Order: sequence, then structure tokens, then C-alpha cells
Amino acid sequence: MRSNRRQLRADISDSELAAMTKSMDELHHDESLPKLRAAVAEWTEEIAAASPVREAPNPSRRRFLIGTGGVIAAGGLLAACSSTPAAAHHTRRKSSGTGGNSGSGSGSSSGLSPADATSLAVDASIENLAVAAYTKGIDAATAGKLGAVPPAVPVFATTARSHHAAHAAAFNAVLTAAGLSAVHEPDPVLTPVVTKKFATVKNVGDLAELALLLENVAAQTYQADVGGLTSTHAIATTASIQPVEMTHAAILYFVLGKYPGAQTASGTPLAFNPLQLSRPNSDVSST
Amino acid sequence: MVTGSTNGPDEVTTKEYAVTIDEHRLRELTEESSDLQSDALQVTKQALDEYVELSHEEEAPPPAAAALVDHDGEEGSATVSTRRLLVGALVAGGFGVAVASLFAGTAVAGASTTGDVDILETAASIEVLAVATYGKALTLPFIGGSSANPVVKAFAQTTKAQHAQHLQAFNAATARLGGAKQTKPDPKYAKIVQAAVPTLKSAADVVGLARTLELVAAETYVKDCSELSSKSARTVMASIMGVEAQHVAVLDAVGALLAAGAPQLITLSPTNVAKLPAVAGSLGIPYPFWPTAQASPATEGAVK
Repeated sequence: MRSNRRQLRADISDSELAAMTKSMDELHHDESLPKLRAAVAEWTEEIAAASPVREAPNPSRRRFLIGTGGVIAAGGLLAACSSTPAAAHHTRRKSSGTGGNSGSGSGSSSGLSPADATSLAVDASIENLAVAAYTKGIDAATAGKLGAVPPAVPVFATTARSHHAAHAAAFNAVLTAAGLSAVHEPDPVLTPVVTKKFATVKNVGDLAELALLLENVAAQTYQADVGGLTSTHAIATTASIQPVEMTHAAILYFVLGKYPGAQTASGTPLAFNPLQLSRPNSDVSST
Repeated sequence: MVTGSTNGPDEVTTKEYAVTIDEHRLRELTEESSDLQSDALQVTKQALDEYVELSHEEEAPPPAAAALVDHDGEEGSATVSTRRLLVGALVAGGFGVAVASLFAGTAVAGASTTGDVDILETAASIEVLAVATYGKALTLPFIGGSSANPVVKAFAQTTKAQHAQHLQAFNAATARLGGAKQTKPDPKYAKIVQAAVPTLKSAADVVGLARTLELVAAETYVKDCSELSSKSARTVMASIMGVEAQHVAVLDAVGALLAAGAPQLITLSPTNVAKLPAVAGSLGIPYPFWPTAQASPATEGAVK
């Protein structure tokens, strides 16, 4: 809090708020992301130590994609609705040579039960869709297709997109650490819905509503996963991401002029986040 | 407004949002207590109930992950039916009735639940402190009085109520596991709050203190998800941790606007966004992954 409160005014300079928020960006780079990377790396080493004989990974599918730049080519994802059912790979574990997977989760040689693997594949596919949707939204705004665009909106969209790219990389890192394929396609069930809705987006408010839907889908899916996953590493990864989607949703609610938090259909704030929008494993396991 | 999916993804719909939501409407929304008997509450209470049941069934496989989620009949139909029954039963009653009926029963205890009890008691202690802190804040003129920003005041009131519900949920689960009801605040952060209260001279001061507590809560619950033995307990924790994270997001945004001398932008209107500078788009979403560095140890707030 500044001791010298300045006179209230209608606008705030970017430099003022940038100074206040600079530490936030530094924070996540200094603390959370490296910590997650370290955890996944540690897990990878544990798996390697427990499974000395492994089937050689498919180099074309096993790209370890930590980082926000190399996850996907987002622009074409909405159109490329799961042309390759990569997510289905996650129900067919590669043989490790040290025993099959019993579905017992962390007790397996790979550390992921089939159900865990499928859940994480769904999660990655949702992140891929989110990245694609934000990219489309940013492109539309830049092209002037959404009318007047407040300057804070593209900043939010760009920031949220970078988070989703990092999330996709994190989920894929867990999958590939377990010897499974990374998922680069968007959720095949949800993508047509989003594509259809995107066609009706005419302004920033419409875009925010669509983004809010995706954020709530992601948050609720991961929330359900936290309860359902068996791998401790997968739980930790998912638990570290769910609140981030919730913060995205909070800001989107604020942008839309709504109470900035979980709420009922009528807008009543909720103390417990719901699960109605969570996506099932069948989103990818049936492809 | 996003509504729940009821019949598959093709029916994921959006509802037109109100053109303007003023402070009066916000107060109305926060007072709609009947809506709190929503699916969120039902699922959380059901998960807690299952958690206690599972503590007796260590040898039995837990229900499928999807059983905790309504997937429109695709999975876990038996649980879905149970859940819908719960929804129907709970909608008819008030919050207290709902909690009492779901958690009524003989207390149970088991060695395998000791760690979970500690975690839940510590979580409850954080909630006790949060309720008390928001309660204190609301006695201050710049938060709960005539000079308060109405949105900030409504947020403080709503958030206090949400923490009270979290406390109730944690204590209910703890009691069913044979643990003691936690009525005392987290000892570590109680000292911090106690030291800070005399220094609270402005809304920004309160926002800063509240932000500290909310972040500790969210970080603790994120960490707890990896340490709880029960999937149902994790489901409960997960339904709460994101709400605390949203509190952090709101406090970050409000704090920045207050510090910038622009409290007039703390308002709930769809036209407000046009007045915000570009950098405001990153306010409230500081982390790509939620940190846990400040998470409280499991036993920090356990009942002694």
C-alpha cells in the first residue's frame, strides 16, 4: 500500500500496474514452474530406476515438451479435431518388460494406471483446445472481427494461453515420463462444440463467455481427477493446475461484470466448486 | 453464465449475462441461500460421506473415479442415482439440515485415518482464522462500514460465509473420522493476524492480509491433495482449493487497483473492462502452476 495515495483518476498507467504485477510473473518462474519440472524429472528417474528394461519409446510420439513454445501448433487445432486418435494410446500401455499394468496406479512399473493415463490424456487434450481457442480469439480480436477490444483483454488472453500451453506440457510430461505418448490434439468431443460456439462470437463479451466455459470445463475436470487419480505425481500435477484455471475463470467473471468466483446458474456464489462440466475419460478413450 | 451440461457436450450452453450487475444485485445474489444447496455442495458432501465409508473398507477397491462425477450416465450410474437422490433431498432443506443429515452417524476412528484427520483439522484451523479475520475486517469502516467500496464489502461478506462453509465441511468430516472439532485458529497465522490487526488502516491493508491467508489456504489444500489417503477427501479438498484461489485472484486485482488509486474500477459491470489498462489483463492470474511453498504442514493446526 502506498502511503501517498494519489488522487483518483479515470485511468491507470500501464507502468504503474506493471510494477505491481511484475513480481507475479517472477514468482511463477522462480517457484512453481521449476518445482513442477523438478518433480516430473524426479519421477522420471524413479520410473527409470524401477524399470531398467523398457521398450524403446517412439521418438515421434515421445517429445518431452516442457516449456510453452513447443507444445502444439495451436492455430489449426480447432480444425484438426483429433485426426489422429493419439489419446487412445493411453489405454494401451506399452509393455515395459517388467510386468503388465494392473491398474493399481503408482504401484505399476510406469507409475500410471490405464485410468490415470486416460484422465491425463483428456486433461492434455482440454489444454490443447484451450490454447487453440485463445489463439483463435486473439487472432479474431487482432483482425478487428470483435469490434472494440479493451486493451486488457488480449493481455489476459495471451497470459491465459501461455498458462494453458504450460499445462499441456505438464500433463504430457507426466504421460511421457511414464513411457506414454504425448497428446497434441484437442478434446475430440468438446472441440466441435467449441468450434460451433466460436462461430457465434461477435464481440469481446461472447469471447469471454466461451473462454469462461472452457476454463470451467478444465477446472472441473481436473477437480474430478484429483479425486480419481491414483498416482501421487499425477495428483500433484493436476492439483497444481486446477486452481490456476479457477483464477482464469474468476477474472473472466469480473470481465463479464459478474461475481468473480464459482457460482450457480443464477449467479449465486458457491463455496464449493461444482463438477457438472467435468469431462469423462470417454472423451478420448472411445476415439 | 455457464450452465451445467446435462445431456452431453452438445448441450453445453451459455446463458446471456445481465447487462449490468450493480452492488444491490450482488447483495441479492449473496443472500440467495437456497441456491447453495447446489450440485457443488451435494457432490462435496457426498464425497465426504464416501470418504468416511471408505475408511472402513481399506481392502475393498474404491469406486471408480468417474463415480464422483455426473457424466450423464456414461459412467458410474449407480453413484449418479445416489447423487440425484441426495440433490433432491438436500434441495428441500436448508444448509444446516443438509450438513446434519449427510454427516449424521456414529463417529468412527482408525489408525489409517490419523494423517487425514490432522490434515482436515489443520484445514479447519485455517478456515477458523479466515472467518475471524474477515469478521474483524467487516467491523472496520473501510471494509464493512459506510466508507467501504460496496463490491469489496460484498466480497468480504461472501468470502467470510464461504470460509464458514469450508470450516463446517472440514469439521464434519473430521468428526466422522473420530477427530475433534477444530474451533481454534491456525496458531502460526493467528499470530500474524493478531500482529497485523492494529495496523489495518485502509482497505488495501486488509486486502493484503486477507491475500496472505487465502494464499496459505490454497497452497495448503493443493499440497494436501497429494497427501490425503482418500480419494473422496481429495475431491472435497479440490472443490475448496480452487475457491480459495479465486479469492486470491480477486484480492490481487482489487489490491492492485486500490494501490493504483483507482477504486472506482472495482465494480461489477461488463463495461468496466474497457476502462482497465492493458496490464490489468494479467492481474489475478499470477501463476501458471499453483505454488505450495507456503503450505502449512499437516499437523500445524491439528487439535492438540
